[in-house]
Amino acid sequence: MQRYWFGDIYEDGRCVPPVLSGESHPSGVEQPAEPDAAALAERLATLRTDMTHYSPPDWSLAVKCGLVRDREEYISRLREVCFLVAGKKIAEHYQSRDVGLLQMVRMLDEIDHVMNLLTERAGDWYQVTHPGFSRKYRPQSAGKMLTLIKRDGGLPGRVAAEVARLSDLRKALMREVSLEADAVLPNCSALVGGVVAARLISRAGGLADLARMPASTVQVLGAGSSLFSHLRSGTPPPKHGIIFQHRRVHNAPKAVRGRVARVLAAKLSIAARLDYYRGVSDPGFLRDAQARIDEAGVVV
Amino acid sequence: MIRIRGVLVSAGEGGVYGERMLDGYRVWDPYRSKFAALHMLGKGVDIDGDMKVLYLGAAHGTTVSHVADYVETVYAVEIAPRPMQDLLEVARRRGNVVPLMADATAPETYAPLVEPVDLIYQDVAHPDQASIALKNACFLKDGGLLLMMLKTRSVDVRKTPGAVLEETLAALTAGYEVLDTCWLDPYHRDHAAVVARVRKEGA
Repeated sequence: MQRYWFGDIYEDGRCVPPVLSGESHPSGVEQPAEPDAAALAERLATLRTDMTHYSPPDWSLAVKCGLVRDREEYISRLREVCFLVAGKKIAEHYQSRDVGLLQMVRMLDEIDHVMNLLTERAGDWYQVTHPGFSRKYRPQSAGKMLTLIKRDGGLPGRVAAEVARLSDLRKALMREVSLEADAVLPNCSALVGGVVAARLISRAGGLADLARMPASTVQVLGAGSSLFSHLRSGTPPPKHGIIFQHRRVHNAPKAVRGRVARVLAAKLSIAARLDYYRGVSDPGFLRDAQARIDEAGVVV
Repeated sequence: MIRIRGVLVSAGEGGVYGERMLDGYRVWDPYRSKFAALHMLGKGVDIDGDMKVLYLGAAHGTTVSHVADYVETVYAVEIAPRPMQDLLEVARRRGNVVPLMADATAPETYAPLVEPVDLIYQDVAHPDQASIALKNACFLKDGGLLLMMLKTRSVDVRKTPGAVLEETLAALTAGYEVLDTCWLDPYHRDHAAVVARVRKEGA
């Protein structure tokens, strides 16, 4: 028997339309009740095709099944089913919470990038209109410089005001990312903080992808260019990627930084699996993991 | 295939992705579409109004929309949700596109839906592109063609594109007879087009 979206075809050529399959099938003389796209899609999801004995369906079989009258109707009903299935699958995908988190953290990084660009340009512009101005020997933050520019008014002042607004937005977004990451990635967030955990997800492409990565990949996520330069021309391999942003790695003494990164990545990849498959924080694991990571940071 | 003053075009409703129009036809840009690139290089596969095509790796539906302008029906397979949203929009406006949200490495998931086709057009970013072509060969009619756009950099960035092509051709012989290969320079770097004819058992 071959099972198609429009019905089951038996070896003797008999066709059983969808709604009647499973019940005792009449000889096909009787016109079956018209199954709608939703019913067809539902049945489709239950079909298991054995590819070794498979042969693709001819549309005329669907006419024999009594589901459609001609080719035009065949394609239009098939499309109806396919649109329904695709729409459902897309909606399903967007339901997982890490998809939203991923967009959030990418937006956060993008805002950072834009703010830096604007600040730099505004500073350059300010310098031109104030020939005596220099940032040398003035340990002032970019924020202070922006206030200066803003006070000066004019178009550069408006740019500075815009950056200040972006900065507020960034703060709010950062808070939101942390909160969301704590909820979606409780174990990863506990190890490296919500924002770094979210960045890992973003680079991996999703929680499911991160959970399937080996620790060695997690360790160098975000260090793509140096990894490939290592593979191509034998430069020293990268010790860390995104996880460098966590203080445990960048505060570690240089001699043990590689080890800390390696251990942290190993624990992170376990944490990602816990987050993906269980979704709740595991205090026992976290205690042991923290201890092990701290141990790795001790210089002997 | 329709050409106007040397420019490859297709006949259909324009404005899909901001493509230029020429005498009322949609310009098919070889820099954006590997199918068009192969044609501009003089090695293209002609498609016509009787054909049914299985398109693996349909992405945002850019090339799909042009192929649909020429052929009878396109079965467009795409797995990623984001491009699928665009593909659905293209399919909504083109009655001969059947959008399948499925994984081209698992043809059993869309097998109940796909008719026998004259051409498989494969443009997927996957390390084992030959095996995808072999798994999908069951959808081809006798003598049907495979047109594979081999993204060598998706297979292995450490190997040279030439070596990747050699390996893929060797693997393809399990189910296909390779007719022609062509690098898509200068339109697409490190992409090779492979034209092959399916070999049915017992044929």
